[in-house]
Amino acid sequence: MTKKDTYDMFEMDGDMDKKKKKKKMNKKEKLEGMKKEMDIDDHEITIEELELRYNTSVTKGLTSTFAAQVLERDGPNELKPPKGTPEYVKFARQLAGGLQCLMWVAACICFIAFGIELARGNVTSFDNLYLAITLIAVVVVTGCFGYYQEFKSTNIIASFKNLVPQQAIVIRDGQKNQINACQLVVGDLVEIKGGDGVPADIRIITSQACKVDNSSLTGESEPQSRNPECTHENPLETKNIAFFSTTCMEGVATGMIISTGDRTIIGRIATLASGVGNEKTPIAIEIEHFVDIIAGLAIFFGFTFFVVAMFIGYAFLEAMIFFMAIVVAYVPEGLLATVTVCLSLTAKRLARKNCVVKNLEAVETLGSTSVICSDKTGTLTQNRMTVAHLWFDNHIHAADTTEDQSGQSFDQSSETWRSLARVATLCNRATFRPDQEGVPIPKRLVVGDASETALLKFTELTVGNIMDYRNRFKKAVEVPFNSTNKFQVSIHELEDPLDLRYLLVMKGAPERILERCSTILIKGQELPLDEQWSEAFQTAYMDLGGLGERVLGFCHLYLNEKEFPRGSQFDPDEMNFPTSGLCFAGLISMIDPPRATVPDAVMKCRTAGIRVVMVTGDHPITARAIAANVGIISEGSETVEDIAERKRIPVEQVNKRDARACVISGGQLKDMSSDELDDALRNHPEMVFARTSPQQKLIIVESCQRLGSIVAVTGDGVNDSPALKKADIGIAMGIAGSDAAKNAADMILLDDNFASIVTGVEQGRLIFDNLKKSIAYTLTKNIPELTPYLIYITCSVPLPLGCITILFIELATDIYPSVSLAYEKAESDIMHLKPRNPRIHRLVNEALAVYSYFQIGAIQSFAGFTDYFAAMAQEGWYPLYCIGLRSQWEDVHLQDLQDSYGQEWTFSQRLYQQYTCYTVFFVSIEICQISDVLIRKTRRLSVFQQGLFRNKVLVSAIVFQLLLGNLLCYCPGMPNIFNFMPIRVQWWFIPVPYGILIFVYDEIRKLGVRRYPGSWWDQELYY
Amino acid sequence: MATMKEKRSCGQRCEDFGRFVWNSDEGKFMGRTPEKWVYISLYYVAFYVVIAGLFSLAIWTLMYTLDPYAPDYQDRLNSPGVMVWPNTYGEEIVEINYNTSDKASWMKMTNILNEFLEPYNDTKQLECNKYNCTKGKYFIQDTFSAPHHTKWACPFMQSMLGACSGFDDPTFGYNCSMPCVVIKMNRIINFLPTNNTDHVPYVNCTVLEGQNNVDKIEYFPECAAMDLSYFPYYGKLAQPTYVNPLVAVRFRLVGEKQAKIQCRVVSKKISYENFYDPYEGKVIFQLKAVK
Repeated sequence: MTKKDTYDMFEMDGDMDKKKKKKKMNKKEKLEGMKKEMDIDDHEITIEELELRYNTSVTKGLTSTFAAQVLERDGPNELKPPKGTPEYVKFARQLAGGLQCLMWVAACICFIAFGIELARGNVTSFDNLYLAITLIAVVVVTGCFGYYQEFKSTNIIASFKNLVPQQAIVIRDGQKNQINACQLVVGDLVEIKGGDGVPADIRIITSQACKVDNSSLTGESEPQSRNPECTHENPLETKNIAFFSTTCMEGVATGMIISTGDRTIIGRIATLASGVGNEKTPIAIEIEHFVDIIAGLAIFFGFTFFVVAMFIGYAFLEAMIFFMAIVVAYVPEGLLATVTVCLSLTAKRLARKNCVVKNLEAVETLGSTSVICSDKTGTLTQNRMTVAHLWFDNHIHAADTTEDQSGQSFDQSSETWRSLARVATLCNRATFRPDQEGVPIPKRLVVGDASETALLKFTELTVGNIMDYRNRFKKAVEVPFNSTNKFQVSIHELEDPLDLRYLLVMKGAPERILERCSTILIKGQELPLDEQWSEAFQTAYMDLGGLGERVLGFCHLYLNEKEFPRGSQFDPDEMNFPTSGLCFAGLISMIDPPRATVPDAVMKCRTAGIRVVMVTGDHPITARAIAANVGIISEGSETVEDIAERKRIPVEQVNKRDARACVISGGQLKDMSSDELDDALRNHPEMVFARTSPQQKLIIVESCQRLGSIVAVTGDGVNDSPALKKADIGIAMGIAGSDAAKNAADMILLDDNFASIVTGVEQGRLIFDNLKKSIAYTLTKNIPELTPYLIYITCSVPLPLGCITILFIELATDIYPSVSLAYEKAESDIMHLKPRNPRIHRLVNEALAVYSYFQIGAIQSFAGFTDYFAAMAQEGWYPLYCIGLRSQWEDVHLQDLQDSYGQEWTFSQRLYQQYTCYTVFFVSIEICQISDVLIRKTRRLSVFQQGLFRNKVLVSAIVFQLLLGNLLCYCPGMPNIFNFMPIRVQWWFIPVPYGILIFVYDEIRKLGVRRYPGSWWDQELYY
Repeated sequence: MATMKEKRSCGQRCEDFGRFVWNSDEGKFMGRTPEKWVYISLYYVAFYVVIAGLFSLAIWTLMYTLDPYAPDYQDRLNSPGVMVWPNTYGEEIVEINYNTSDKASWMKMTNILNEFLEPYNDTKQLECNKYNCTKGKYFIQDTFSAPHHTKWACPFMQSMLGACSGFDDPTFGYNCSMPCVVIKMNRIINFLPTNNTDHVPYVNCTVLEGQNNVDKIEYFPECAAMDLSYFPYYGKLAQPTYVNPLVAVRFRLVGEKQAKIQCRVVSKKISYENFYDPYEGKVIFQLKAVK
C-alpha cells in the first residue's frame, strides 16, 4: 500500500464540469448510442428462419438476379475508406494552431497600422507592410514544413496497404463461382477454406475442422474453431459466426453472409473509430496557455504605453499606431519555427528508433503520458504460441520462450524427456514450408495449427531435424484430432529395424489422456499410475492452467509384436488398436509468450511513474498470467479474489483498497457504472481488463482521461482503433498492425517493440524540458526588442532598433541556437521522475516568463542601450542630447541638424547613423543571447556540471550566430538592403560585460535553487 | 484531461480570472500573498537599482572618455551636405515658388532669408568674430588663442553677399523675376575641402530643366568661392561663434520663369554623386516665379 500514492491521478475540481455536462449531453448521447453492443440475432435463429429472412437457400444460394438487386440496395461489400481528411484541410490545420493564430492577428494589426498610415498620407516607412508579409510568410513556411512532415509519415503508413482484390467462392443459382469479394451480398452462400480471408460476416452452416484467426478482432491469439452450433448469445463469442477480415486458418466451411461492408462487425468498429473525436495534444494545450500569457502581456504593455503616449501628448491615431506596434513587437516571430523544428528533430530521432510519428505534436505527448493502456496480443506478446512449460518426472520444466532463443533451457538428460519428445514429434501433423533453411526456426512458416506449430518448432529446436526424424519412424496410421475424442493418435514403425514393434503415440486434452493411461513414465521407468501420481498430475495440470497456458497431455504404447506384426492393417475409423492402458509421458503447455523486451520496458515505465494497464480481448486467466509475467501485475500483488481465498472469507468482505491488482472482464465491465470504473481505476494501481470489446476499450480510455491522466493506447487490431483514436496518443504496431489501427494512431512502432515506447517517453520528456529552454531563450530577446520602441516613444530618442533588424534576430541569427537547445542532454534522470502533472507543470509558467522578460531581458536591454548611446556619443550625439531629438532627427526636410559638436548632418547621414544604432543594438542582443543560450542549457544544474561545450550543436550554433552577425554587418550592400551598417569593432565588446553579468547572475540563481529547494528563492526564480 | 480540453466559456474564464485576482481561500492577490508581493517587489527594486547603477556607471565612463572638442568618429560625415535657402519643400525636393504679384507669397521667401541671415548681420559678426583672417589660406589653429580658451573664427558678413545681401534690395529680388537663393555647406569638424590651397571650393549652379528660362546666373561673393580661411571647423566648444561661409546665387528668370537647378559645391574632397544622399555636395531645387 505504500506505493499506492505513486499512482494517484491528477484529480480535477468536481464542481467545475457540472455546468458543461448539460451542454455536452446531446453529443454524448449520440456517442453512447454508438458504443452500445452489437445487437444481432442472426446466429441464434434457425437456418430455416435465416433462409426466409434473406430470401435464400442453403443448397442453391441466391439467384443471380436477386443478388444483383441486393447489391444495388446495399452497395458493394467493402469498407468505405475512412473519410480521409482532404489535403487542404490538413494544410489549413497546420496554419491554425495557437501560435499561428497569434501571428495572424499580429499580421492583421500590421496591415491595419499600415492602412492607417497610408490613409494619413505619410508613408515614410514600409516596415509595417514588411512585418505583416514576414509574419504571414513564417506561418505559411512552417505550415508547409509541418504538412510535409505529416505527409511523409502518412506515406510510410500508406505503403503497407495491400491492394490485391480478394476473391471468394460463392454459390449462386446452385453453381459455384469465383467472384470478387466486393460483389458479395447478404444471403450469399460462400465457401471458405484454410488460408482464405473471410469475405464478410458469415453464419456457418457446415464446417469441417474450421478454425479462424480472430486475433485482430478480439485479441485471442489462438485460432478459434467455427461450427454451426450457436454457443453464446453474444455474436462476438458464438462459434457459428465468422467475421469479415479474419482469416480461416484451416478446415473448410460454408456459410451464409449475414452482413456486408460497413454493416459488418469490423465495419462498425471502423465507423466507431472515425466517430471518435481527436483529442488535443498536451503540447497544443500548453502552447495555447502560452499564447494566452503572451497576448495578455502584449495587450497590457500596449495599453499602458497607449495611455502614456496620450498623456505625453501624441495624437490619438499616433498613439493607436504605437499600441499596435507594441502588440506586434511582443509576438515572438521565431518561436513557431523553433517549436516546429525542435519537434521534428525529436520526431526524426524517434524515427531512427523505429517510432514514426504522424503528428509532430504527438512527440511530446508520450513524455506527459501517465497511463499506458496496452493491448496484449502482438504488443506485449509475440502473437505466436510457444511451448512454455513441460511436466515430466513429476517436475515442471520451463522452456525457453524468448524470440531469439537466448534464454535458459531445461534439463534434457532424462529418459522420460526422450520419450515425451518422441511423442510430441511423431504425433504432429504440422510441417515446415519448404525452402526456409536460412530462416531462424522461430520465424519459419509452418503448415498446421497453432499448438502443433508450437510443438514442431519446439521439437525442432530441442531435438533437431524433425522431418528426418519423422521419416525414420514410418507412420502406419493416423487419427486426427476431433472435438469428440479430444485426442490425436498415430502409429509408427520403430527406428531400429530389428525391433519390429509398433509405437502408438497419442496427444490430447490432459484429462482425457490420463483416463487412457495405466502407467506413467518416471525417469525412464514405467510405474503404475496410482492415486499419488494422479494427484501429482492434477496439481501440475492446475498450475499450468493457472498460468493461462494451454496444456496438452502425451502418452505412448509399444504395441505387442505378436498381436500387431509388421504389415498389420490399422483402421483409423474403427480404431482396431488399443487406446487405453497407455503409458503417460508428460504434459506440455503452450502460451503466446511475452516479448523479451517487455518486462524490462514495463519496469522502466513504472520507475518513470507511468501506469501500465492491460486491456485485451483475451481470456482473464491468460491475460492475468501475461500481466504477471511482464510485470503489469507485480510480484506479491493480490486481487480481491486472491485475498478472499487467502483469508478464507467471502469476496464481499474484502476491503477493495487492500488489493493492488484487479482483473476485470468485459462481462463485469458491462454491469459497472462509469463511477464504479473510475473507482476501480483509482483503487487498484495494477489493472487488467480482459474479454473487452472495442467499445469497452474506449470506455476504459475515457475513464482514465476523466481521472486526469494523459493516456497512451497501444494496439494492433481493428478492435483497438477506436481506443487508439480516443487516446491522447495512439500507438499502433507497424508490422502486425492492421491498417485501421495505423490510421487511427498518432504513432507507429515499426518494429512492434513495446520497449520503443520507453524511448518515446524519454524523448518526449526531454523535448518538453528542452522546449521550455528554447522558449525561455526565444522569449528573453523580446524585451530588448521592445524597450527601444518604448524609449523611442517616451523619450523621443532616435529609434535604436528597426523592424527589419528585429526580424533578422528572430528569424535568422537566433533560430539555430534556440533549436540547438533541443540537443541538450537531460539534467537529471528524467526516467525516474513522475510524469508531469499537466495542471501544475506548465510549459511556460509565470516564473519562466517573468524571469526571462524582467530580469534577463532587462539586462539585455541595458546592454543594448549602453551600446546604442556609445555609438551615438562617439559619432557626435551625446545621450542627453538625443533625448527629445526625435522630431528633428526624423525631419526629412532638415538637412543641417547640428550634433553635440556643432557639426551639421543631412537627413541621409542621420538615417545611416540610425542604421548604425540598429546594428549595434542588434550586436548587443546577439552577444547577450550567446550568454543567454549558455545559461539556458540548464535550469537547475550549474552549466559547468552540464558541460559547457558538451552540446556540440550548441557550440556550432554560437559560431554560426557570430558568423551570420558579421556577414550582416560587413557584407557590402547591406546598409541599403537590410539596414545593417559596418560598425566599429569595439562596439561588439561593449555588451560583453552585460553578457558576463547574465551568466554570473544565472549561476547564482541556480546555486540558490539547488542549495535551498522549496525556499522563497526557489519558488520565485525556478522555472 | 478531458475536462481540461473542453473550451471554457467566457463566464468561466472571467470567473477564473477573478479567482486569480483575489483568491480569498489562500489570501492571495494576483497569485501571491501580500507579504510575498512585498518581498518580490523589494527584490525587483534592488535588482533594477543595481542594473541601473551599472548602466549609469557605463554611461559615465563613456562620457568620461569622450573628447569634448571633437567626436571620436565621423563615419557618416565623409562629405558635407549642401542646402539652399529659402528651404521651402514641395512633394519631394525643395521648391521655391512665389508669386510676384502676391506680396504674402514673396514676403514668405524674403522673411526666410532675413531670418536665415540674421547671425550674419555685419555688426554682429564684427562684434563676435573680431579677427582679421588671411584669405586664401586654411586657418589652422593648434592652440586656443582666443578669449575663454576658444579658437578664432573668421567673420562672414551679410554684406559680402553683395546684390543678394538684402541691403540694396530688401526683397532679395522676389518682387521681380530675379530671385536670390543662398547656398550653405554643412560644417564638419576638421574637414578640409581640398588637399592644397590652390583650389578654393566654389559653388556652381547648372540648370537641369528649363535652360531657356534662365537668362543669367550671378554669384556673390565674386567667383562663388567659399574662402579657405573658414576651414577647418574646430567644433562648437572651440569655435562657439563660427558661421558657415555662404554663397548667394541670383537667377534672372525669363520665358516660363521656372527651372530645375542644381547647385554644387565644387571641390576635390566633396563628393556629389551619392545616390543615397541627394544633399551630399549638392542641392537640387525647383525655382518658379508666377506673375
